[in-house]
Amino acid sequence: MLKVKRSTIFLYMLPMLITIALINLTPVLYTLYLSFTNNTLFNGEYNFVALGNYGKLLFSTDSELLYVLGLTVLYVIACVSLFLIVGMLTALALNNQKVKGLLFWRVVLLVPWATPYAITALVWKFLFNFDFGPINQIGRVFFGKDFGIPWTTNPVWAFIAVVIVNIWLSYPFFTIVILGALQSVPQELHEAARVDGATSWQRFRSITFPLLRPAITPATILSAITTFQMFGTVYLITQGGPITSADKPGATSFVMIYMYNKVLGAAGANIHYAQIATFAITIFIILGTLTFLARSLGQRNKEALA
Amino acid sequence: MSDQSIKRTLHASSGAIPAVGQSIKIQKREEVKTGVLRRRLQSGLGLSVIYLFLIVMTIFALFPIYYVVQASLAGGQNLYTTDLHLLPAHPTLDNYVYAFTQEPILAWLGNTFLVSGLATAIGLVFSMTGAYALSRFRFKGREVTLNLLLALQAFPGLLAITAYYYLLQYLNLLNTAPLLGLALVHAAGALVFSCWNIKGYFDTLPVELEQAALIDGATHTQAFWRVTLPLAIPALAASALFIFVGGWSEFALANYILNSNDTGSNLTFMLGLYRLQGDFRTPWGYFAATSVIISLPLTILFLYAQRFFKSGLTIGSVKG
Repeated sequence: MLKVKRSTIFLYMLPMLITIALINLTPVLYTLYLSFTNNTLFNGEYNFVALGNYGKLLFSTDSELLYVLGLTVLYVIACVSLFLIVGMLTALALNNQKVKGLLFWRVVLLVPWATPYAITALVWKFLFNFDFGPINQIGRVFFGKDFGIPWTTNPVWAFIAVVIVNIWLSYPFFTIVILGALQSVPQELHEAARVDGATSWQRFRSITFPLLRPAITPATILSAITTFQMFGTVYLITQGGPITSADKPGATSFVMIYMYNKVLGAAGANIHYAQIATFAITIFIILGTLTFLARSLGQRNKEALA
Repeated sequence: MSDQSIKRTLHASSGAIPAVGQSIKIQKREEVKTGVLRRRLQSGLGLSVIYLFLIVMTIFALFPIYYVVQASLAGGQNLYTTDLHLLPAHPTLDNYVYAFTQEPILAWLGNTFLVSGLATAIGLVFSMTGAYALSRFRFKGREVTLNLLLALQAFPGLLAITAYYYLLQYLNLLNTAPLLGLALVHAAGALVFSCWNIKGYFDTLPVELEQAALIDGATHTQAFWRVTLPLAIPALAASALFIFVGGWSEFALANYILNSNDTGSNLTFMLGLYRLQGDFRTPWGYFAATSVIISLPLTILFLYAQRFFKSGLTIGSVKG
């Protein structure tokens, strides 16, 4: 460690600390403060209501928290398990030395990773278009003129659509992580198991998979957390819709999208800033707990390995 | 195949053939032969399944990109039909000409470069000095700062979006320089990750290098700029790219605080594209051409910078 004057340390830290205090911390604290008030767009008041907003959010029967959280968790489970399956299969295929043109396949399959996600989300939105989108057009070639999947107007199909887009965007990350781990699995183990008569499925289950776990676990947790707070990709395609009934959020209103729509508000309607802040703080507590758990889990994994 | 496993294989196969009668030997050999044949057939079948899977995945991976490129070349004519067109009948660059002449695409690109570039410069400089102090010095409040950074990392900026609005209003940036405001928010948001990443990398560099420089008469500032920073270029490049790409694709905050003027020339291109695509009076070919123009530089940058990503991000994160 270097020994320096305290003022030098201060100078090195100052720019970062000021920025963090002003732009990161202040909004968080302001949101926290707002969650204890009754502020809305119309009343403009900041009266202290203690935990009233939290009580309403957590215990009121018309609270949408559970619905939105459930929808988001469903999305996380669907996405992450499919990332894992698709990433694993592509990595296994790319690790097979008998396949010709490995370099070509490797570059081609990682292309979605290099494209700017927000633009490709808009492109996907067009691909899903009912009348003019090529996916339904291809379907019409095979199934006749009346074919058409209501990708963005039916709740279930909209959900599937945003899962598909997310897989497209995210599987290359898993492919790279798993491929890297696969290449460190000693070939001798496989040969030995083959000689002992193990089938390829048995070899995968008892040799490859356990050796991949240390690489897969952190990647899975990381992508579960980022999928939980997914915004751009989904919002650009569905805006959180389709909305099927007036008293329920849309079928792809995951936590961030739900909140964003509340903040933007409908034209001429009141915006309940305090309630939105309460929702934000609740989500922050959930996310913070998850991140903390993931981190301590990762640490334990590391210690177990060492 | 290693020597040992070859030996083991040989051993196993010789053990399978008992040295008793000739007929038994032949029968066994036949069995071994059909076994080999079956295995070869199986692996051939397995291989074609793998190829099939790779082809399907390639179509999945490339189709959106292929479609948008061909649509950008198709002119306006055959996009709004319900029949399938996978090849433009009369390829033309009309859409590109339109994008450059009729849409304020250069203004969008300029705005976006300004936001991303400023955010990258601020975020990188502030985080690398902070990361250096956290990595090299021991002082009161160091643990607190590290824990604070950790907690902030779990807080997606989007949650406090109303607060950002008021903050920028309070700083008088909302109406005078909203792009600068956007850049500040991006920089601060990326600062936390960037600081962790760079600190992790600094931790792997031996402190003896700087100590040697100090003994040779360099000041602390010189040791930092001339010794440590050049060695940390992979981590710096990875962080810079991370911040830049984040600012490039940001949509939520920009959509909330930027109000379009008459021509829309004050927008970042993500917002411009969003409006272009949402408006079904504009032919989709224009949108396609515009998105190709905008994606191209970023994709090339990303592919080029990937090697920095590998060493810069992994080393930093493993130690962090």
